[in-house]
Amino acid sequence: MTTGLHIATPTDTTIVLTRSFKAPRRLVWEAMTSPDKMKRWMLPPPGLTLTVCEVEPRVGGTLNLAWKSADADPVMTLHGEWTEFAPHERMVHTETMKLASGETVISLVETNEFTDTGGATQMRITQTYKSKEDRDGALASGIDEECYVRLDAVVAQ
Amino acid sequence: MVSVDRSLRLDLVFHALAHPARRAIVRQLSLGERNLSELASPLEMTFPAATKHVRVLEGAKLVRRRIVGREHLCRLRPEPLKEAMLWTGSFREHWEARFAALDSVLDDMHVEEQSRSKRKTP
Repeated sequence: MTTGLHIATPTDTTIVLTRSFKAPRRLVWEAMTSPDKMKRWMLPPPGLTLTVCEVEPRVGGTLNLAWKSADADPVMTLHGEWTEFAPHERMVHTETMKLASGETVISLVETNEFTDTGGATQMRITQTYKSKEDRDGALASGIDEECYVRLDAVVAQ
Repeated sequence: MVSVDRSLRLDLVFHALAHPARRAIVRQLSLGERNLSELASPLEMTFPAATKHVRVLEGAKLVRRRIVGREHLCRLRPEPLKEAMLWTGSFREHWEARFAALDSVLDDMHVEEQSRSKRKTP
């Protein structure tokens, strides 16, 4: 089975990730929306630990995540809201990541789409950033790596 | 700032590669040095059109051109391509790691489901 990750940038402000999973759609959907599963696959940036993972999987429901480091708890937070929620098919949520200082690291809208592909599930994630600069920044360093560099700077102050 | 330079260089590289004719030229040059007419003819392109595309590739430092007599010899410069690949590397690595973790979460969920359904059958 090929599960290769495909990354594309169809417009100046978007990144599209496509990946197949050897599981039915409902399982992939559950893994993407239940906190106990999310905690396992949402790998944190180096040196950080995910401490809060609260999600209300429904339209208007919120996502709240927080990470701690050896020096600060929380050191970074993610707040978002679901704007579309069609189980096993498509969901859209906003997310804004902030440092403990309140400074916004990045803000984006993410769409997840699920398709059956003969025994497997294809998930397509479309991330839409506020600007080309933000998008390029995310691609250039990896969101988490960028956060980590900035956290270092904050800790050093 | 280094990162701004890098960002500008990447802009040039991706702009240069955002045209099928220029990608075809890069592909040809990956096989070795070619002169301008060798590059133009398989693309059914006029000499000036090929020159224009080669100039864009030169601007992105993807191609080096040297003039020998009446020939313009073009050669691929691999460094900017390598940089462009590295540029997507960490983002890709991050998501590949997450999706590999998701694979194992899904495996566990599958096993759990199967053992649950076995328990139900008397």
